[in-house]
Amino acid sequence: MRLPTLLLAGATAITAGFLGYKQFVEPRHQPADGLLSTAPTLRAPEVVQAPAPAPAQTSPDAGKPAAARPARPDVDESALRYFARQGDKRRLEIEIARLRALYPGWEPPANPLEGTSAGDPQLDRMWSLYAEGKLAEVRKAIADRQAAEPAWVVPEDLLQRLALAESREQLVNASNLKQYETVIRVGSANPSLLTCSEVDVLWRVADAFARTDRQQRAVDAYRYVLANCDNPAERLASMQKALDVLPRPALDALIKEERKAPDGAGEFAPVRDEMARRAVAAGDKDAELTVAPADVATVERLADAENKASDALLLGWYHLLRNNIPEAEKWFRRARGIEESASASQGLGLTLIAQNKPADAEAILYKWKDGSDEQRATYLAAAANLLAIDPPVDIAPDVLQRIVPTVVAAKDAASAQQLGWYAYLLNQFDTAARWFRQALEWKPDDEPSAYGLAITAERLGDRATVAAIQRRWAGKSTRIAILGETREERARRVPRRQAQRPAPLLPEALQEEEGGGTPIERNVLQPTAERFDLEPSGPTTQALPYATEPLPQPAGAAVERAVRPLPEEPSRLAEAAEPRSFAEPAPVAEPAPVGEAPRQRAAGRGSTRGCTATLNADNLAPRAALNRGWCLMDLNRPLEAIASFESALRSGSAAVRTDAAYGQSLAYLRAGLTDQAAVAAAKAPLTRPKSVELEVSIMESRATNAFEAGRYVEALLALDQRDSVAPQRVDLMVLRGYAYLNLSRWGEAEQVFRAVAATGSKEGPRGLANLRVARHPRTVNN
Amino acid sequence: MSPRTAVCRLACTALALLFLFAPAKAAGMIRAADWDAYKAKFVDPSGRVVDDGNGGISHSEGQGYGLLLAFLADNRADFEQIWSFTRTELLLRDDGLAAWKWDPNAQPRVTDLNNASDGDILIAYALARAGTAWDRDDLTQAASTIADAVGKEAVAEQQGRKLLMPAAAGFGPGDRKDGPVVNLSYLVFEAFPELARVAPDTDWKRIADDGRALIERARFSPRKLPPDWLSLKTRPRPADGFAEEFGYNALRIPLYLVRAGTEDPALLTALAAGMQGSDGNVHIVDLDTGADKAALAEAGYRAIPALIACVVDGKKMPADLAAFQPSVYYPSTLHLLALAFAAEKHPECL
Repeated sequence: MRLPTLLLAGATAITAGFLGYKQFVEPRHQPADGLLSTAPTLRAPEVVQAPAPAPAQTSPDAGKPAAARPARPDVDESALRYFARQGDKRRLEIEIARLRALYPGWEPPANPLEGTSAGDPQLDRMWSLYAEGKLAEVRKAIADRQAAEPAWVVPEDLLQRLALAESREQLVNASNLKQYETVIRVGSANPSLLTCSEVDVLWRVADAFARTDRQQRAVDAYRYVLANCDNPAERLASMQKALDVLPRPALDALIKEERKAPDGAGEFAPVRDEMARRAVAAGDKDAELTVAPADVATVERLADAENKASDALLLGWYHLLRNNIPEAEKWFRRARGIEESASASQGLGLTLIAQNKPADAEAILYKWKDGSDEQRATYLAAAANLLAIDPPVDIAPDVLQRIVPTVVAAKDAASAQQLGWYAYLLNQFDTAARWFRQALEWKPDDEPSAYGLAITAERLGDRATVAAIQRRWAGKSTRIAILGETREERARRVPRRQAQRPAPLLPEALQEEEGGGTPIERNVLQPTAERFDLEPSGPTTQALPYATEPLPQPAGAAVERAVRPLPEEPSRLAEAAEPRSFAEPAPVAEPAPVGEAPRQRAAGRGSTRGCTATLNADNLAPRAALNRGWCLMDLNRPLEAIASFESALRSGSAAVRTDAAYGQSLAYLRAGLTDQAAVAAAKAPLTRPKSVELEVSIMESRATNAFEAGRYVEALLALDQRDSVAPQRVDLMVLRGYAYLNLSRWGEAEQVFRAVAATGSKEGPRGLANLRVARHPRTVNN
Repeated sequence: MSPRTAVCRLACTALALLFLFAPAKAAGMIRAADWDAYKAKFVDPSGRVVDDGNGGISHSEGQGYGLLLAFLADNRADFEQIWSFTRTELLLRDDGLAAWKWDPNAQPRVTDLNNASDGDILIAYALARAGTAWDRDDLTQAASTIADAVGKEAVAEQQGRKLLMPAAAGFGPGDRKDGPVVNLSYLVFEAFPELARVAPDTDWKRIADDGRALIERARFSPRKLPPDWLSLKTRPRPADGFAEEFGYNALRIPLYLVRAGTEDPALLTALAAGMQGSDGNVHIVDLDTGADKAALAEAGYRAIPALIACVVDGKKMPADLAAFQPSVYYPSTLHLLALAFAAEKHPECL
């Protein structure tokens, strides 16, 4: 005879529907009877169409005559007795809960097995079908019997149970299909479903609220479970479910419902740990996020106690993003000791780069470089930093040899440029030139590589190449323009910015350095044949303005000494530097601030070394952020520079803001984000020359982009705007000519191409020829 | 009676008069034995109408047909059974429409949450008729909710036409290059007067009128037949990505027209002639060439031109078509619909 016990247990576990609870409850553990009301009053306010006749809150029994009856109201207990007979404890409990909710004065019979119905086999079969979840069959059986026995009255209880079970099915199905409005609609219409005995339904309703931005309703639903339901596993599961859908403050509110064991242990300890982990994990993705020290401490405790790599990793990234490099290194090493994973290696690599140990970083990251784009980028950053150490360190041949193919495979212009500088400092000028050209092939607007190529050409005595580069970059790079100026000439243009900047590293400086030390001889730095095999030979080199040398080198021809005679043939760079076709974008203008140092070299120098680590600069003071922005520009990392300049824009100093706006605009331009460049330029008042310079660059970029997108009218508008503030440029005139041509504005196209021809550029006659073809296709074909 | 239907009563009665045909209140147009045979084969105990020709899946269309046939057979118990399944398993969408596809071998069972407008309309229509005939406000209210949702989610206006879109999503001008695309066989004409009664916010009469005009116009090949899927981006033409044919969808069009009381002998005769081969079978027709692609011999298909021949020319339906033998779900369904109409309106055909 276990039944009575079970009955009691069932009775105590029962409470009101959640939505009803919301309306009526203040004191948490009011006896369940006091919370109850009839179903219609329990609808969620937002779903109710026409308010049902709601009983007054103080009198939930109003309007329910049954409830006003004495101790034993006339309650249909057939279902209860049926389930008791079947020994179906779960349904028996649910039924008792439901009847208690409906009839507040009602008490379950002491022994439901007594006084069972005299025997209605048809009704028993209906209940049996109901218990098996065959709801449609119950519907059918009821209707069949009604047709056969018109006098038969369906037990109200059966109809209610059936409707409720159907609604439950519908709710669960809708929830599985993420139809959250349906879940809420059905749940609200059936408050009797929302009880501790149907905690799964409560969870689904809570989840639906949370996923439709009704967070407070979700909190209420979870809190209802925690305040009223006693099953420990369900309580913990409720918290765990809340963890997935609610933000921290809501969770903090809910966890106050935690119950403590006599020994003081909280039932939600596992959830608290998980909350701490998630807080730290969130901090791993957002350096600005403030993570409670208690959460960090909890994860540290867990990492020590459970020795999981995942916890150590959480802490590693957390500290790395906050620039706590030694702490980060410690946790990444710990994680790596437990499991040598990509993430741990990448994190450790980054901490090593940040501590200026690029050789160690390279060694650790090499194995993981092919795992993901991010891992490859980290590896290349390590390699670039290793190459950028100044003066150059002795890099083992096998290391160099594995860097080169990675750079080539990734077509990484920044690393190619570093290889150029590395070769340059080793006096391997030919090799240097080849790497700079390679960098420009991958990134035609890479001013530092153009500059590198120019000074290398100067060292090689290749004046033609120098002149060609200077022409190509005229108006876009001061340091290229002034290459070859005398000291006196330069002294007259003392850079305003110089004081705040790393000392300019100009060609003389390099020469002095070389004079001062013994050049390291090395022979491994040749771009290998493998590298060039990866490039299409014909069209690519044709199309690229700088790829004019016969690039491929036999793999065996690796030995090259420091000094080399002038190239035998005059460089064809001059010709190639002319825009070869209208489809080619001119390099995005990137005016170098006067007196700026060669950028990449700066990466290895003390004053700018601080920005080589991939860190979030938002914690820096505005002026530091500004410097970091310029430093990142030097490293050709414009996207990070944008963020740094953004921080600097928050400065109280107008000068800092002006410089930051200028820098950010340049950074956007370099990143190819023309529109944002224009927005950035307007973020602070700029001096006239700077705003003109930016406007010119922005308009040129817009014109090129519009042209490439086939929006010729827009391209012309941008060119007009540009030409109103800056002198004409031949390549842009060519662009204009083709824009007219594509718009069939023949006369204007002809006028422009004639003007281009008058400058001596071959693009003039070529444009005129194309114009003839376009105007008279048949004549030309014949 | 819900406030909505009360409000509607006056306006809707007037509106219903505008339609050619308003369904009779009485049920019982399908013989009990025929319905039992159908049910035994295609309705499982859970109230699911099984498309046995389609891997045993179920869909909103099938549930709608099941409800309608149960109503026409005046079988409330079976209606309740099918409705229970429909409500709990398909009426799950946030917008109040039914998910169209249900697969007993998948989890979750609903494998495509999209709706199919003909399924929604059939369900709403059957509920509306049953609600009135059996005085059941709960059914009328459910019909009203679904019909309102169809009007809100799946009706579009284009080039002066009011279009029933095949679904709430996926067929509009923004969804397809050749959009809007419609399926003329989703126009269950007999349903529209009922929908106008329970969901008066939508202009069902215009949908019906514009749909009829489109059927007149969008007929292709020497056989002059409408396609299953029709693009209305410019001049009406068979839609891209579907077989360019008068197929299993479109062959319902003449049946729906007849059942709705369309009195247009020329159109009905032309459709019947185009779809029927000399062998008496119904043909799937290539609308590029007018060639036959397949001959459908099941009685349920052949009953359609036979019904037209009787309605238009007074030709009695052949004995093998006047009797019902279940074959597979789809033609059997069409067969019962044809027989129910004949029994009610043209008993001389049987």
